[in-house]
Amino acid sequence: MSTVSENLQPVVEDEITIEVTINGSPRSGRAEPRLLLADFLRQQLGLTGTHLGCEHGVCGACTVLIDGEPVRSCLMFAIQARGADITTVEGLDDDGELHPVQQAFHAKHGLQCGFCTPGMVLTCKALLDHNPTPSEPEIRDFLSGNICRCTGYVGIVESVKEAAAAGRGVSPAAPASTTTER
Amino acid sequence: MKPASFKYACPTSVQEAVGLLQHFGDDAKVLAGGQSLVPMMNGRLAQPDVLIDINQIAELRVLEVNGGLRIGAGVRQRTALESPDVQRVVPVIAEALRHVGHVGIRARGTVGGSIAHADPAAELPTIMLALDATMTVTGAGGQRTVPAEEFFRGVFTTAVEYDELLTGVHVAVPGPASRSAFVEVSRRRGDFALVGAAVSLELIDGAARRVRIALSGVADRPVLAHRAQEFLEGRDPHDPVVREEAGRLAAADLDPASDIHAPGSYRKKVSAVLVKRALSNAVNGE
Amino acid sequence: MTVTEPLTVRPPQYVGARVLRVEDNKYLMGRGRYLDDLALPGMLQAAFVRSPHAHARIASIDISAAKALKGVVEVLTGAELAKMGTPLVADLQREEVLPVGKELLATDKVRHVGEAVAIVIAESRYLAEDGAQLVSVEYEPLPALVDPEQALSHGAVLLHDDVPGNNVAHIEFDSGGVEEAFAKADRVFTKRFHAGRQHAAPLETRGVMADYNPGTGHLTIWSSTQLPHFLRTLIAPHLQMSERHLTVIAPDVGGGFGLKCHVFVEEAIIPLVAKRLRRPVKWVEDRVENLAASGHAKEIVMDIDIAVTNDGRFLAFRGRYIGDCGAYSGYPWTALIDPLAAANLLPSLYDVREMSFQVDAVLTNKCQTTAYRGPGMAPGHLARETLIDDIAHELGMDPVELRIKNCIGPEPYVTVNNMRFDGGSYVESIRKAQELVDYDRFREAQAAARAEGRYLGIGFSPFVEAGTWGSEGAKALGFPAEFYDTASVTVEPDGTVTVTTGTFNHGQGHHTSLAQLAADRLGVRIENVRVVDGDTSKAVWGAGTYASRSAVVAGGSILYAATEVRNKLLALAGSLLEASPDDIELYDGQASIKGVPEKSLPIAQLAGVGYFGGALRPEGQEPTLSATRYYDPPQTYSNGVVVAIVEVDAETGRVDLQRVVAVEDCGTMLNPLIVEGQVHGAVAQGIGAALYESLEYDESGQLLSGTLMDFLYPSSTEVPTIEVSHIVTPSPVTEGGMKGMAEGGTIAAPAAVINAIADALTPFGAVIRHAPVRPADVLALIEAGRA
Repeated sequence: MSTVSENLQPVVEDEITIEVTINGSPRSGRAEPRLLLADFLRQQLGLTGTHLGCEHGVCGACTVLIDGEPVRSCLMFAIQARGADITTVEGLDDDGELHPVQQAFHAKHGLQCGFCTPGMVLTCKALLDHNPTPSEPEIRDFLSGNICRCTGYVGIVESVKEAAAAGRGVSPAAPASTTTER
Repeated sequence: MKPASFKYACPTSVQEAVGLLQHFGDDAKVLAGGQSLVPMMNGRLAQPDVLIDINQIAELRVLEVNGGLRIGAGVRQRTALESPDVQRVVPVIAEALRHVGHVGIRARGTVGGSIAHADPAAELPTIMLALDATMTVTGAGGQRTVPAEEFFRGVFTTAVEYDELLTGVHVAVPGPASRSAFVEVSRRRGDFALVGAAVSLELIDGAARRVRIALSGVADRPVLAHRAQEFLEGRDPHDPVVREEAGRLAAADLDPASDIHAPGSYRKKVSAVLVKRALSNAVNGE
Repeated sequence: MTVTEPLTVRPPQYVGARVLRVEDNKYLMGRGRYLDDLALPGMLQAAFVRSPHAHARIASIDISAAKALKGVVEVLTGAELAKMGTPLVADLQREEVLPVGKELLATDKVRHVGEAVAIVIAESRYLAEDGAQLVSVEYEPLPALVDPEQALSHGAVLLHDDVPGNNVAHIEFDSGGVEEAFAKADRVFTKRFHAGRQHAAPLETRGVMADYNPGTGHLTIWSSTQLPHFLRTLIAPHLQMSERHLTVIAPDVGGGFGLKCHVFVEEAIIPLVAKRLRRPVKWVEDRVENLAASGHAKEIVMDIDIAVTNDGRFLAFRGRYIGDCGAYSGYPWTALIDPLAAANLLPSLYDVREMSFQVDAVLTNKCQTTAYRGPGMAPGHLARETLIDDIAHELGMDPVELRIKNCIGPEPYVTVNNMRFDGGSYVESIRKAQELVDYDRFREAQAAARAEGRYLGIGFSPFVEAGTWGSEGAKALGFPAEFYDTASVTVEPDGTVTVTTGTFNHGQGHHTSLAQLAADRLGVRIENVRVVDGDTSKAVWGAGTYASRSAVVAGGSILYAATEVRNKLLALAGSLLEASPDDIELYDGQASIKGVPEKSLPIAQLAGVGYFGGALRPEGQEPTLSATRYYDPPQTYSNGVVVAIVEVDAETGRVDLQRVVAVEDCGTMLNPLIVEGQVHGAVAQGIGAALYESLEYDESGQLLSGTLMDFLYPSSTEVPTIEVSHIVTPSPVTEGGMKGMAEGGTIAAPAAVINAIADALTPFGAVIRHAPVRPADVLALIEAGRA
């Protein structure tokens, strides 16, 4: 560290230790200023569930929750997250017991290749924490910053409805599907 | 795509931030929400020597109604969008904010960041221009205020000098006769607008007064549709013929650029449509 | 064609059921392991230096500053790589096709923006990119070819000295009486359609990691690929290594959609560098590299002619397909993957007895083209199906009735170019879709809306999907080579089951659907079946997963192998229960005498005897319970329909996609949940093709859509709920009755959406000739109609 003048904050040039709370536990790791939060989580802390799909803030795969808010971790530097309370996908299940949002994604086929899934699941959690009874347009609007290339969002939207209904103790109507056997 | 190295400073007061800007000059960039700057850094299109992170400056995060709506530059877009004050006092700002990116962008992106970035297709500069907002800019010599019309100078260019910081935006509390609306057309929800239109006016005895119409995506900065504004002054915007003509006049002088998403001719035509629709929304409700 | 009589007297326990996916939890918990999640001790990371020019000679490369940077371990140029490995040469066993080579790194010339000229290997990706920035390359720009018709024209500059006319292949087909049919037709309709340049753009980009052990001479390659075994076979000669010293592992892969069923230069470079440096090396493609320099798709300029009688009977089809194939011929499938597949599927489900086509696969100064879901078939479909709507309009016929009038019957059918359809619900699926959207009522609503100045439209797009890709199917589409797959099925000593397959699950749910098949055939519970794939040292050889082939090809080979093992279990049970093996049924983990459920044994117990029972085994039965079989299916084709309903804002050109209905017939469904997921995803990608996704180059060959800010994926606000309905016409020719599916939505949805837009714009006489259709294009069509 160097100081540009007496009155000023120190300017960081080299690696420093970053302390954060991740999924309820204190964690720390080293980071130079340019290290992206996503890379810090993945490389320094070994939390590879946070995925990088574009590194320019469009795809949403790297979404984590910071103080409960969905944030793109490719657009933040780790150094900015000092002291933050971060939730990653690894923090959702309870010792292998799926979180209701995860359970709903399983039940409604809300995932295929799994690459967007961590960001998607966390964004859905943020939505339901914020609005436990979202309408379909509200669901679609909230998720519109998270790209899925596999599912056409059909299973994902159903999953969010399912998770919302589970929170209310009811079961949503199944989507239309018919079969003619020969 | 990984950013180049930089030095990082994290001031906790505007004064400190301005001191850093003065010290580092052109070598420094201000980091607000980072939703535009960091993608450019990741692609190495921006390689600032020093990054001055203003996210820890509490005084920039004030949103208050006190002789007008004052939004600190560091207020998150999502906070502003969901603010009861904004929704009560100047709801059209929330209307515009709904079009800014997506929830994950708004959770981090700031009101001041978007205004200072000055993307000519962005929503916040356009709505601020329509609302005749005043920007507060702070430098070593203290604060100065700049009206929106003088603030935006070109693509990604504003009146903020290299050693200054945009610290807030002030919008007068609209009177009971005020009407406003924001509309835009984009390829997908959340994309930058192909064209956006914001209108603000007062409706006095059925006639429009103090009309301001701002357009995005049609020039190197958000622009006012002066001829349309003058035409509307004193006329009844409930009349579809009046709105149609206002739209025509708003588009008449434009010469927008083309890109892969739309030719300039499209932007010009749709400007007329959006002005017409924004006027309709403003006076008839959506 | 079936190898056994019906499985059991009872209905199958799993096949056809909506079994929830067994592979979900790891993905949901963030415990998937994708390529970029892997790390090895001492691992280095790579970044490439890539060309900013579309076409240029490389005058010099200065790597000294990069090499001097702290943290940079090595910098290599094309000249150095050429000493280490050999170029990838794409060729096809057809006399019309010219081989096209791609050097591992460009040495003398770059041919598109993004082509790699040097590699920097450093302690981290950050440092590797720092190094790449310091490599100084001097280019001498050459004229760029961005228009395939110009590239074909006489005197055009050559991209490759050994490819005259810049044409990888000129291929013609003629059934014989085409010109006569056109001459005597009442009407001839013609259309030029330019399909947009797309990208599979899986959410996970490509990536390669390699580790060489000088002590064993063994090289392990991890790649985000769809075809681990095929990759090993194809890449070994370029590494100058034998396959016994190569292991290829595909870890969890975040989508492929055809892009990753190719072999790319990085899959040779990274192993070569790891071997040279004696350290593990990883390279992860970033999104900008992915969009500029992996594989584009589907851009074809098409001229389609249809000869028609006055009452709407199609007499003959004629097509000219000019593929804008980019600077290289994608390895191994070649530049023909789009234009030739488009041409061969020209007849689709129409009963047309005369057809001709010409195909040119033209090299231009753009990124090479590779397979992407519905390769060729999707753009070809767009050209034909939009023309059919135009014809209906011109003849004053209903577009649905015009299609049905010309549609083949439900029985197996051989097309004019010798594709052997195995029967399907061609007409029935159209009728069902009509019913689902309440077609007549829609037409009434449309008329009422028009009277109010609102523009609603509907588009029908029935399809036949040429998937599956066994040897016969590949040949029928124009790609003659041997394609099959292998599976091993083992009942372990404790009665649980391990299936290995050469196909590779990267999101399709194979670990569930293939387990369903094996569980039913062996009569065990699905939770006791494990499917292993993606590792050449653990699974049997296979060609990989692409072209909607896995349910049929892996499924068939699993059924064959499982049947062999089943017969061993039946013999064991017969012996132990003192009954004929023919009287034994295997179900839900139990072997019992049919009709005498109390006489039963757990299959686990049979397995124990199979391994350790000695004399308890029937005489002559070898110990262990395992079989390996291969399957090469005959041609099979799924079919279906996609219908789209839109409202067009005539003032802004915005298209509101209000409803999408899909009818799918893929024969026997292993798991309807998974089938529906595939339809949803395929249709969404088709919506992208219709309205959003396009890679644009300017006249100098600069890529204008190099990030996801400009290459527009549809998001949850652009894709409506997709309603799926099934018809099940089991294939009479495949093992199990399955037909390959998952591409129909991508093939058909673009035409459904674009026909719906054109239908909405009928008052303006709109004829749509390109995709995607932007708001500006819609507005231009309206204005042209008003003028």
